[in-house]
Amino acid sequence: MIIVAPKDFKEDFWKSKDIKISIGDIVQDEVSGESGEPVEMGPTPKPHVTDLREWDMKLMERYEPFYAPFCDMCCLCTYGKCDLTAGKKGACGIDIKAQQARMVLLACCIGAAAHSAHARHLLEHLIEKKGNDFPIDLGMNIDIEAPIIRTLIGKAPKTLGDLREAMDYMEEQNLHLLSACHTGQEGSSVDFESKALHAGLMDNLGKEIGDIAQIVALDMPKGDENAPLVEMGMGTVDRDKPIVLCIGHNVSSGAGVIDYVEEEGLEDNVEVCGICCAAIDITRYNQHAKVIGPISKQLKFIRSGVADVIVVDEQCIRTDVLEEAKNNQAKVIATTDKMCLGLPNLTDEDADKIVAQLINNQIEGALILNSDKVGEVATKVAMQIADDRGMLKLLPDMDEIQELAKECTECGWCTRVCPNSIPIMEAVMGASEGDFSKMEALYDNDVCYTCGRCEQECERDIPIMSMMAKIGENKLKEQRFNMRAGRGPIQDVEIRKVGAPIVLGDIPGVIAFVGCTNYPEGAQDVAKMAKEFLERNYIVVTSGCGAMTIGEYRDEEGNTLYEKYSGDFDAKGLVNVGSCVSNAHIPGACIKIANIFAKKPLEGNFEEISDYILNRVGACGVAWGAYSQKAAAIATGVNRWGIPVVLGPHGTKYRRLYLGRTDKEETWQLNDMRTGNVVNGEPAPEHLLYAAENREEATVEIAKLCIRPNDTSKGRQLKLNHYIDLHKKYFGTIPEDVYKFVRVQKDIPITYKKDVMDILEEKGWEPRAIPQEPSIRDFKEEPKKKANGK
Amino acid sequence: MNERIIPWQPTVIAGPKQAMLVTPETAKMMLKKAKRPLFVIGPLVTGDPIMKLTMDISEHWDLPIVTTGDAYKTFGDRGIKTTRYGVVEIVNLLKDPDWKGIKGEGQHDLVMFIGCIYYIASQGLSTLKHFAPHLKTLTICKFFHSNADASFPNMNDDEWLKYLEKMKSD
Ligand code: SF4
Ligand code: SF4
Ligand code: SF4
Repeated sequence: MIIVAPKDFKEDFWKSKDIKISIGDIVQDEVSGESGEPVEMGPTPKPHVTDLREWDMKLMERYEPFYAPFCDMCCLCTYGKCDLTAGKKGACGIDIKAQQARMVLLACCIGAAAHSAHARHLLEHLIEKKGNDFPIDLGMNIDIEAPIIRTLIGKAPKTLGDLREAMDYMEEQNLHLLSACHTGQEGSSVDFESKALHAGLMDNLGKEIGDIAQIVALDMPKGDENAPLVEMGMGTVDRDKPIVLCIGHNVSSGAGVIDYVEEEGLEDNVEVCGICCAAIDITRYNQHAKVIGPISKQLKFIRSGVADVIVVDEQCIRTDVLEEAKNNQAKVIATTDKMCLGLPNLTDEDADKIVAQLINNQIEGALILNSDKVGEVATKVAMQIADDRGMLKLLPDMDEIQELAKECTECGWCTRVCPNSIPIMEAVMGASEGDFSKMEALYDNDVCYTCGRCEQECERDIPIMSMMAKIGENKLKEQRFNMRAGRGPIQDVEIRKVGAPIVLGDIPGVIAFVGCTNYPEGAQDVAKMAKEFLERNYIVVTSGCGAMTIGEYRDEEGNTLYEKYSGDFDAKGLVNVGSCVSNAHIPGACIKIANIFAKKPLEGNFEEISDYILNRVGACGVAWGAYSQKAAAIATGVNRWGIPVVLGPHGTKYRRLYLGRTDKEETWQLNDMRTGNVVNGEPAPEHLLYAAENREEATVEIAKLCIRPNDTSKGRQLKLNHYIDLHKKYFGTIPEDVYKFVRVQKDIPITYKKDVMDILEEKGWEPRAIPQEPSIRDFKEEPKKKANGK
Repeated sequence: MNERIIPWQPTVIAGPKQAMLVTPETAKMMLKKAKRPLFVIGPLVTGDPIMKLTMDISEHWDLPIVTTGDAYKTFGDRGIKTTRYGVVEIVNLLKDPDWKGIKGEGQHDLVMFIGCIYYIASQGLSTLKHFAPHLKTLTICKFFHSNADASFPNMNDDEWLKYLEKMKSD
């Protein structure tokens, strides 16, 4: 960061627009673009809660918040519970809309805090290890590193220590945002929404800080399109070896285990594997680690008893992990302040003493807040208990399963409490007759994601999860997949290459499959959608559990999609950016398109960049199994950058979507910044946050949400071609709303010319102007004239 | 508590206002009273006998059909023309008192649902419960929907088919 002392002032310092004077230092807002030239600071460096409110209101004029209350009541304070049904207000005066928006804000604050506290922990840990001045160098091909930090903070971080400024800013903002959730603060649903959008943005920032810190300090792949394929699946683990399983998101403890195993030369003696993002990040650190799979594998794998030691860090971990581990005599090591599990803090204890206490069952587990010590203790314990544990019989055998299943009274409650109402009762009934096929069908593709709700409901205490784990044990051979290791950011050179085709529409879209595994009908849906769009020349980006889910699918020839498609950020590329925190590189790539391709300055220039992305970058996020508060924050954050997101059906439980209304034509008008004209636009993108009921609906919607006002006619033809194709495939017809997206005849895809012309005629279509610089922002001055306006 | 009126997925229970349990007779009364009813059919309706029954019901009561998910194709393949919306889109339109309805004749006053995925339907019904005082919601799935204004109870298939059969006539 450039902090210029008074004696170093440039000559024009006193003329510079945004001189920030704060007690203690004088900062000249001098920042560098790609060329190294100083660029002007935009209007909103370090935007405070209300600074981007106008932009939010513009978004919400078009994409009005749609509320689906998940609960009619509020129980946040002791006036309550208050019933907010159908027009009633709470004792504090809040109505149901504002209450839903408040809950969304709360979820986004929690999500942003989870990512950012994780980032803060990593940052301080890595500064301690590598030093404050450790350079942020993402290699030859990435000059515009940290596009989110550049845009929001107004400068590029040069060292690990520099990241602290962005972190401090983020933490302050999140505090203000969280405070607005208190009783008797905000009263307007749209202002709650504006704050939620800010919280989402802070989430995006926190993730970028975390991922950049770990990439540079732990030497993870730096935008490497050829990142190696790593092994994945329960069948890849050698069960004869001691096994350390890492669950969660924070790489530091997993890295501690890997380091210890390497230092001691134990690579061939111990298996280190991971579930969820911890798995992704340890394989970005060291490719010998193995990925078990996404979070849906958690209870299946723990119940199988294969792991000798379970190292938990933070986020998305089963909170009953200690109880589950105890049942099969595995040992748990908690490693962060986020999850201590009631365990004794032995951080300062001698490692061998901790090992002794654990193997002698003097303690149930240990809290160790030092990653090096975690590595040593976890490895030593696993090596010492593995043999004895190998003798334990942890799962019922198939005969026993049949006997247990015979207890079933067919009460049906297991299916009723299942989040997806899957036919688990039928599977149990089948097993009682020795037919395990129904249970296998639910095991495959995580149709049952082993949440455990059915098992605890069962009036006969049938151990349904153990039965599932046993079924999986029989299918180990099939469970061998792979995934391209998370590559981190997109390179500048890639952006230069695809910037124009994306903005002009020649590449029909960039689709990002992110998020968790609350899939409505199993994991394959995500891979099928990814495959569909890869085959159609889209760029497919992925991260986190989505990236693992995609790797678990094999096509007709037996290849995973990672084997079939390259990791290039280009048409037909399947780009795994990494873990949840790596999601930051997805809006990051869109921001870089605005900067590198369109030469838009980033620094302090949030609105202009987001307006550019909304109107010109055909990107769409898909969080098909989103369940977490982090996913709420991620989606809300990218929405603020102008990127639409499609959720799975469970996404409606977030309580709020942002839906456009195609019947309200006035909401789609655009300001053409080049000509000063107001022009009739089109519903592109039609929605900002959408929830689809099934994969078929989602697929068609995703294709449609990649359409942008800026498409050239050639690009529009391509996009419409895919939209019509998919509509025909999944709905059987040419979409009737296609006329809305035809501006001039040249926009009509050749293949469907006749059908589309018929629709145009029927609808009384007339050509309209194609805006040159479409925008939803206000003109700087009054518009010259109103063209085509109704 | 009567098992038939515990919401099918029990945790969708949202608050004190619960749907009224209805029989086909009451459901038909509601249809008779309605001026501009609408039938929303979801992707769980995939084949006969349910498909045939829904078609007969819509014909008998002259109900325009909106299909959600990919039900549009299921019905389209049988030659039945419906209007396609995402379930969140149609709910969004239904909650707007100024929306002109499927036929452009005015907002609907009764919306009858069948075959949408239970929990997303429950969320949509919640939206309408809170924000659409201008219309009533009725669900004729075999699951009790507490967020509707009126719902069939939880039933087994046999009983449900009988209920639907009764819906085909006055
Ligand atoms: S915060 Fe308001 S609505 Fe909630 S319980 Fe308290 S008074 Fe009632
Ligand atoms: S464990 Fe599987 S079957 Fe049981 S409730 Fe959860 S998802 Fe449904
Ligand atoms: S809850 Fe238990 S007893 Fe009831 S149907 Fe399911 S497995 Fe059988």
